[in-house]
Amino acid sequence: MAVTTYSGAEQYNFEVVKKFAIMSIVWAVIGMFVGVYIASELAWPFLNFDSPYISFGRFRPVHTTSVIFGFGGSALFATSYYVVQRTCQTRLISDGLASFTFWGWMAAIALADFSYMLGYTQSREYAEMEWPIDILIEVVWVAYLTVFVGTIMRRKQPHIYVANWFYLAFILATALLHTFNNLAMPIDLFSMKSYSLFSGVQDAMTQWWYGHNAVGFFLTAAFLGMMYYFVPKQAGRPIYSYRLSIVHFWALGFMYMWVGAHHLHWTALPDWTSSLAAAFSILLLMPSWGGMINGIMTLSGAWDKLRTDPIMRFMIVALSFYGMSTFEGPMMSLKEVNALSHYTDWTVGHVHSGALGWVAMITFGSLYHMMPKLWDTKMYSRKLIEWHFWLATIGIVLYIVAMWISGITQGLMWRAFDEFGNLQYSFVESVAAMHPFYAMRAIGGMFFLTGMVMMAFNVFMTIRQGKRESAALEAKLAAKLAHA
Amino acid sequence: MDLLMWFSKPENTKPLGLVIFFVTFIGIVIYAYGSKKRSDQLESYRNIPFLDDQEDTKDKQ
Amino acid sequence: MNFNFKHEWIETNIGLLAVLTMLAISVGGLVEITPLFFIDKTIEKVDGVRPYTPLEQRGRDIYQREGCYLCHSQMIRPFRDEKLRYGHYSLAAESQYDHPFQWGSKRTGPDLARVGGKYSNEWHVQHLTAPRSMVPESVMPNYPWLKATPLDTSDIAERMKALRKVGVPYSLTDTEYKANVAKFGETVAKQLHIPNAQQSLIEQANFGNYDGDRSGISEMDALVAYLQVLGTMVDFGKYKDDAFVNDR
Repeated sequence: MAVTTYSGAEQYNFEVVKKFAIMSIVWAVIGMFVGVYIASELAWPFLNFDSPYISFGRFRPVHTTSVIFGFGGSALFATSYYVVQRTCQTRLISDGLASFTFWGWMAAIALADFSYMLGYTQSREYAEMEWPIDILIEVVWVAYLTVFVGTIMRRKQPHIYVANWFYLAFILATALLHTFNNLAMPIDLFSMKSYSLFSGVQDAMTQWWYGHNAVGFFLTAAFLGMMYYFVPKQAGRPIYSYRLSIVHFWALGFMYMWVGAHHLHWTALPDWTSSLAAAFSILLLMPSWGGMINGIMTLSGAWDKLRTDPIMRFMIVALSFYGMSTFEGPMMSLKEVNALSHYTDWTVGHVHSGALGWVAMITFGSLYHMMPKLWDTKMYSRKLIEWHFWLATIGIVLYIVAMWISGITQGLMWRAFDEFGNLQYSFVESVAAMHPFYAMRAIGGMFFLTGMVMMAFNVFMTIRQGKRESAALEAKLAAKLAHA
Repeated sequence: MDLLMWFSKPENTKPLGLVIFFVTFIGIVIYAYGSKKRSDQLESYRNIPFLDDQEDTKDKQ
Repeated sequence: MNFNFKHEWIETNIGLLAVLTMLAISVGGLVEITPLFFIDKTIEKVDGVRPYTPLEQRGRDIYQREGCYLCHSQMIRPFRDEKLRYGHYSLAAESQYDHPFQWGSKRTGPDLARVGGKYSNEWHVQHLTAPRSMVPESVMPNYPWLKATPLDTSDIAERMKALRKVGVPYSLTDTEYKANVAKFGETVAKQLHIPNAQQSLIEQANFGNYDGDRSGISEMDALVAYLQVLGTMVDFGKYKDDAFVNDR
């Protein structure tokens, strides 16, 4: 048995997977801490402490970049390298290039976070990195594509497993989006400052084409890839329908790219663009739910495990939130609903039901499955996984409910008229009305963060345990060899 | 340029998008569900994640 | 559809899979974004919209740097309540020189598309330095460093040159200057002339004295100058109520 484990370590490059997996947890703790902090700044503004570096406007991109690209991105690198090796039964084509993607990606996130605090930003949501960091990301991404595609080309299986399709679509789409949304003119070769190539309405459209597809491909397609490998593995049974996965792959990939303009309803963007986007947003419900059904049906054969296995619980909750937020999204893209919901906290709540409920929960499930395999041991504490699950779930519910109430309240207060046809509320009255919900949101975030810290501790102890076990094993082997 | 202008009119793009989307979609659905043999073939790929299980640590303890 | 076609080719050939995936994901963006660059109707013909003066542009840089766009939109929608609260709905033309756009996506604070001229300079300075001293319920951070930090005016020409390269009509040559005189009038054209940039920035700051402190030019000067020009370029009194309806 020990022999097969060692051959496993040689057959696959798990070094880079381990590094990314650990850093994904580190970025999660950092990013979620900053998230809780900026949520608290909105509830209790004294927390800005008159410091430029942590004032809300500069600190918010630190939160989004750390969680989306730090936590989510590292988890995707880790799982994609893991899945592509195991489903192609071959080693990554280049250890050096894979290691470069690790250090390059870490450098990009760290530089981005520091540069925001110092005031360098393109002020494009979720693409705030200034041009030198964008170039670094571009290079890392090409290396990533090379490693991923090269490994698939070396596979021992004739068929490419569907999880890899989703990862591939994510890598290609991200390359496309990143390149076009970051076209900018630096003021000087030695200056961080640049100006976007596009202006006004074209710039808005490009940015939200990027913005929504970052959600569509980075936060959805890629995590579906994760789902298509780790859900069957954890449930111990193959995916419910392979054919459904093919159909929903093409439908999802095709339709997502049309929907970005629903972020620009009722703006100066030409009407036809946002109407088209709304139509596709509604259609998108079908492939989204196709994926969800495929996942849930896979788990449904193993309901008994659901009672005993907290990792399975993470996965089923993730899929449920995926279903919920992919229903909420198309609804919010209807022009009439959007007129109320846009510019309010409802949008923020919607994003987090996807980001916390779907992305983070499926990642936790996958990491809890993968970590012990990487270090050839078991998770240090099952109790802590249980605790993590409940804290995370309660945290999400508090967060989303707070944002629903505050978002709809804002929307209604802004459009309320008194009997004389004047506006009933001043803007600042709506701000004052938000206070309890902002506090509630911050508390929800604290719950989620606490669970995250427990996971970090659990993983730390698991790795220590794994290292101790393999050291003991080696000592035993050495002793045996000495006797022989 | 004329072609791009043509695309800019919703009365053109709406039906065009619908047709392209629908034909491709039907094509893929027919492909996936059309033949029994191919269906069996496709469904056999479900097991790929389990093919390298001998190296798993599942049997440990 | 050719039924000899085998999806299996795609499934077993990573190159083909990549190409077709790329194709599937490119269509949406191409169809929706490309026409915006060619259709005349995307941006309305309207008088008065001009590039920002050097001081205003520096103010805009600071607006971006502090992440104001994360809580303030600059895009008024065509609803009755927004007309009453903020003014005429925003036109595409009004952000045609905005690299990048700052329409925003969230109103934790109110829309700023037409905030120009609504409050005095003194109000803005006090409000930016300590928002809760003016509006007790506000959750905006204090920005005390704006007034305390002198504005760096040394690279203004470089900034304008970069903007000129991406299409903003700042003038570098005499011909361009004359074209600007014809288009925006002499007073404005002078301020858009890059060789005079630093000088006209200093003149505007000294003349406007936006931060109420004559001892030097602070970042507050620039930011307030920017806020005070927002939404003031188009004179909507000149147009009929439904003049822009067909552009939507």
